[in-house]
Amino acid sequence: MPASLDFSAAAVRRAWIKKLLGPIDEAKWNELVRELFAWQFATVPAYRRLCPAHEFTPKNFASWRDIPAVPQQLFKREKLFAHGFSKPSAIYETSGTTTGQPGRQYLLSTDIYRAVSVEGANRIGLFAHIDYLHFLTPSPQDAPHSSLSAMFGFWQKHHGSKRGRFWVKDQRIDFNRLRETLIAQIKAGQPIGIAGTAFSFVHLIDAWADLPPLRLPRGSWLLETGGFKGRSREVSKAELYAQLARAFSLREVDIYNEYGMSELSSQAYTHGVRGAHHLPPWARVLVVDPATGCEVGIGQRGLIRWIDLANVDSVLALQTLDMATRTSLGFDLIGRLPRTERRGCSLGAEDLAGSSGDEMSPREPGQQVVRATRTALSHAVRRLPGRKS
Amino acid sequence: MTTRQRLDLLARAYPRLFPRAELLRLLRSQLGHVDALDKWIVREGVRVRACSPEIIYHICAGNLAVSAWTSIAQGLLLGAHNVVKLPGDRDDSSTRREILDFIRGLPVALRKLVETHQVLDADLLSRADAVVAFGSDETMDSIHKQLRWDQKFIAHGHALSLLWLSDPSRLTTGQARACATDVLTYDQLGCLSPQAIYVPPKTNFDALARKFSSALEAHWQALPKKHARPLGVAARIAEARDLAYALDHRVWLPPKKHLGWTLIHDPDPTFQPSTLHGVIYLRQAAEFQLSTALASVRGRISTVGLVGHLSSRLENVFLSLGVSRFCPAGRMQFPPLTWHHDGGASLSDLVTWIDSEEVK
Repeated sequence: MPASLDFSAAAVRRAWIKKLLGPIDEAKWNELVRELFAWQFATVPAYRRLCPAHEFTPKNFASWRDIPAVPQQLFKREKLFAHGFSKPSAIYETSGTTTGQPGRQYLLSTDIYRAVSVEGANRIGLFAHIDYLHFLTPSPQDAPHSSLSAMFGFWQKHHGSKRGRFWVKDQRIDFNRLRETLIAQIKAGQPIGIAGTAFSFVHLIDAWADLPPLRLPRGSWLLETGGFKGRSREVSKAELYAQLARAFSLREVDIYNEYGMSELSSQAYTHGVRGAHHLPPWARVLVVDPATGCEVGIGQRGLIRWIDLANVDSVLALQTLDMATRTSLGFDLIGRLPRTERRGCSLGAEDLAGSSGDEMSPREPGQQVVRATRTALSHAVRRLPGRKS
Repeated sequence: MTTRQRLDLLARAYPRLFPRAELLRLLRSQLGHVDALDKWIVREGVRVRACSPEIIYHICAGNLAVSAWTSIAQGLLLGAHNVVKLPGDRDDSSTRREILDFIRGLPVALRKLVETHQVLDADLLSRADAVVAFGSDETMDSIHKQLRWDQKFIAHGHALSLLWLSDPSRLTTGQARACATDVLTYDQLGCLSPQAIYVPPKTNFDALARKFSSALEAHWQALPKKHARPLGVAARIAEARDLAYALDHRVWLPPKKHLGWTLIHDPDPTFQPSTLHGVIYLRQAAEFQLSTALASVRGRISTVGLVGHLSSRLENVFLSLGVSRFCPAGRMQFPPLTWHHDGGASLSDLVTWIDSEEVK
């Protein structure tokens, strides 16, 4: 068992970022998982209680694949923070649609989140060709508990603060102003990136339904995150991408999807309707059978379990309720497990929580008008070449 | 066909579900006479006659067939034409098939009085004299909005049930088995399924859990057909277990950790809905705490199953919470046909009465 690192020390965190962004082979991956697991086992009481129930502790660590994962729901019930009474510098909240209680992710510092979310986007080439970034979310100042706004804020800073703008103000988007701005940038031939929740793009399409398409310059892209079911109207991923491609004169492959969540620090990306989700080297996904907790066989369905080495301040292993089929190369994302398996006449949590009809829990607060979840997945099955794990 | 003829056909087709004697008792208790639908009877010196709805529209819930069977059987007893909106065809539920099997098992004369539909038929719904529906509050609201004022609407929204043990230290093996029957019957999916077992303060949870674990496992092993655990159900059970561990609750699992049942002691007396599918919570509360502990489900508690004595004080607490049925443990899932489901009278709520006063 390795000596546990102290991730409250700035130097350790800087060194950790360096390790994450450097080359990670299988041996390195195992070493990093061991180190982080040992730290979180020692410092997160709820995790320390959960692990022995799965007969897994730092002392009998055999394989990273067997690391117990905390259920996403636990973030709504317990403070999962590896730094005791230290003051977190950021608290990101999920929605509280099921229990009325939001889930909270506490970060001692946003340093690691910033580094990996910028580097993750960078590695898939999001910043390569564009001049200007538009974010269809509130700014981090307006939504301090939104991990999505925070990430976009990091991107903006990385890209140049004068080369990005947040468009949600007082829960509204000024679509006319946005369009005027885009037209001016198009005339100037500036490639543009527009990022937002899937649902904000649905609103955008509705707002511009009677207007002619814009012709975004070559190199431009759109990035949507999360689902949009149960909001003002439902749209399939294929339909949304087709509409967006038309509205901006882009190819569907110029439209990206980000798969992430408030409880994690890393993100996976794909582009196009059937694009493959790519994970950064510092995060892996297992498709597990909830009955056994073990990985399912190839071709079988299971639930996505993240192992995220950037999630230093809470827990590295997260059990989601997102369904996927394991493939020889990775996984095909199917979608969120329906909240209600359907009972007969027996009352359940959602009955008590009120009338939230949507199956997906939005992760972001403060985006009442356009918010949509980042944990939620679109409804189309996507073919993912995945990555070697 | 007379009521008695229909009753005989139904009792012959399903003697265990609908015993003849119970059907007779149901008619007598709710209509005052077995033949009230077929001829004039005299009540309080007045000739009266019950008139059945011509069409009853039954809207069935997703995972539990027994409520649909009962509703259809009551419609048949009344001699109505029964339109059945089946639940959706889900791969993790056999309810739809079980409802269809039940209808297929009826004698031809009764089967003619039943028609099934996959989707809600607005035209038929508007022609129905009465609508009996099972489902969520949202479903009830949505259906209610589609009805006219003169259509009878019997709504069975979601509800839950509880077990109360007055003296857990004296729980016998037989009583523990009775509780296990209540928990595991219908995989906890009905409104009569207990979602929590409430016990008084100073309960020895180790001893109690040993008894319950053993009873739950015995019941599970004795089930001729184990409840299915598709991906979604397995996920919810695993989540409930891991949450409990992480929250430092006591958890008791079956041997080899199969997914048949899960017993959790949550030290918070406040009721929280169970994941169902055999996940049952032990909660400790003094009589005076129960009103607060159950405040979030006031008006939603169907049945309280009892082991031991129910004090009048506690009875009043439960009554103030809107509990509509008390019964011994082991009987929660098997109410008599005369049971007032959600406080209503299944037959008499559906009929219309005709009075014929003496002409002088």
